[in-house]
Amino acid sequence: MHPRLRGHPTDYARFGALALQRAGHDSPVRAGVRHGAEENTADLEWHAQDPTLLQVLDGNRITEDGAEAVALAYASSSAGWVMKRRLQRSESADWLLHNDERWLALEVSGVTTGDPWARLEDKKRQVAHCSLAAERLAVVVAFERPDILADSP
Amino acid sequence: MTKTDSILAGLTEDELDTLVSIAIRRAEILDETQSPGANDAWSEVVVYEERLAALTRPDDVPGGVARVGAVTAALAAGRRSDASRLASRYLAEEAFPSERREAIQRAFQEDQARLAQRFPALAKTGRLAELAVWRASTSTHLHVFPRAA
Repeated sequence: MHPRLRGHPTDYARFGALALQRAGHDSPVRAGVRHGAEENTADLEWHAQDPTLLQVLDGNRITEDGAEAVALAYASSSAGWVMKRRLQRSESADWLLHNDERWLALEVSGVTTGDPWARLEDKKRQVAHCSLAAERLAVVVAFERPDILADSP
Repeated sequence: MTKTDSILAGLTEDELDTLVSIAIRRAEILDETQSPGANDAWSEVVVYEERLAALTRPDDVPGGVARVGAVTAALAAGRRSDASRLASRYLAEEAFPSERREAIQRAFQEDQARLAQRFPALAKTGRLAELAVWRASTSTHLHVFPRAA
């Protein structure tokens, strides 16, 4: 879990865990990682959540917030990006992160089934419109396998 | 100084970053569900963005985000006169980058486009400006007209 998300009222760890459990995974699970042309793996671990929550929580929010949990953790653990703040939609990205003097605009999406590559292309196009003086990265979390797909426009 | 101002003045940039992140997510969700509470939620975002703008430099990335964020949140809350006031203040800062200036202009253009989509008859007859007069008379009664903006 990204360090800045601990204690955040939106329980990202819970949503990430529920999204992975809903897809039939148990902790830990090895996720495939495709960042640009590079392939790798990442081990995702979480505290098991009560599956009855899946019946009362909004399915789309579980997917969206679960994807943000995984994507922020990936950005932090893979390249040391630290979350600064959420961005408004008009910025064409979800989160602003920093790493020393560098800035990153991060756009995130999650998919439960189907081909995540088309979604990644959509998100790359979206974050390309971000006008901030920042690097740009799109991340799509495909919960079914699971896979983490990341690329810059 | 109001009680809210004094509370805000005691918050660090990190704390405000957390608060604005929570507030934006809540406002977006309320917007998606067409909730009457969305305007209030965006007004809360304005408070945090304004404070962040006061704490940061206009030419820093977070400072630019906060300044544009204050304007766009005010527009989303239907507080267009506040949005104009904030825009004037930030655009007057010499160090404010041109890209951020354009982002503020874009926010107003997108707001106009949203209004035109919502009031196509007025837009078609060039009468969108009349909305400003109507808004001025209803904006003090947002509990009666929560989506008036």
